Amino acid sequence: MIRGTLTVATLASVILFPWPVTALLVVSSSLAVPLLPVVAGIFSDTLYYTHAAGMLPLGTIAGAAVTLAAYLVRNRLKPSIIEG
Amino acid sequence: MRRIFSARRNALLTPTGLSAGALALAFVLAVLALRLLAPNLFWKLMAPAMDASNAVANGTHALLAGFENSATLAAQNDALSAENTALAYKNQALLEENANLTALLGTAPAPKKGILAGVLARPPESPYDTLVVAAGADAGVTRGMEAFGAGGVPLGVVTTVHTDVARVTLFSAPDMITGGWAGSTSVPITIRGAGAGALDASIQRSAGIAAGDTVFVPGPGMLPIGIVARIDGDPSAPTVTLRIQPMTNVFSLVWVTLRDSGTDLLGALQAATSTLP
Repeated sequence: MIRGTLTVATLASVILFPWPVTALLVVSSSLAVPLLPVVAGIFSDTLYYTHAAGMLPLGTIAGAAVTLAAYLVRNRLKPSIIEG
Repeated sequence: MRRIFSARRNALLTPTGLSAGALALAFVLAVLALRLLAPNLFWKLMAPAMDASNAVANGTHALLAGFENSATLAAQNDALSAENTALAYKNQALLEENANLTALLGTAPAPKKGILAGVLARPPESPYDTLVVAAGADAGVTRGMEAFGAGGVPLGVVTTVHTDVARVTLFSAPDMITGGWAGSTSVPITIRGAGAGALDASIQRSAGIAAGDTVFVPGPGMLPIGIVARIDGDPSAPTVTLRIQPMTNVFSLVWVTLRDSGTDLLGALQAATSTLP
């Protein structure tokens, strides 16, 4: 239930709120839903990325990095602390 | 040997955690596929959500403004009224000067009418210094048109056009390079986007540009784009970096005008990027 709420809130945040708010929400939720950062990154780039700016899709790249970090951290933590 | 991490004990692989993330990933991949395969349908579906974003932004601004001190607001109001009066007089003088020059040199060609477009998404919701505007090919928007804010201030260039929606890359987008001029002597400079609505330019220290000087870009003539807010640089270096504050706050844009300014802005854009199709 909480994971579902966090996921929906993050996707809505990509549209409704400035990106630093979304980034904060994503990082704080990443331990509960590790795939959420890369999901939010892909969604953000789907909406806002334009290759004409000569930039990399930073949302997806940063999201993938945070997802990887979340996986590593969770694998190091004791499962009983995380599992709700 | 005993296993340290079993599938059951590993919190990462719990069915609930995996399913929420996996479902969300499947959803955004489907959205991405829709965006790539049917962009017009995608933007039609997303436009109401982005309107909701505008409503939230306006509501938040009104809420935060309510906390400001009334005395500060009154002082700000007085200052703005005085500035408005001064600008009205200046505008009147410029109109008169323009009329005299037109009489002297002949009739100037009438300015082209633009396409008024509402802004659906802007920074900081959009992290790439791009705007999504509610006018597309159906309204006559074409790639390479220039976007102007209130008062005819240049903002950026149309880089993607769909049926009902277009995307504008702002001059402040990182690595966006635009030719321009600075100061009363119109010193040529190369303006580089610095992200988050900011602009930079490098110039020789001896050029004599000072904080407060106006920066112009080509349009019909020279159009003001910003003001030199700060000058950074090592005292021993021959060049300095101009930090340019844009005249229009891109974070609160509501409407823009799109028109063909006759300037090859896409050429500059292509030179700045290697990823254009």
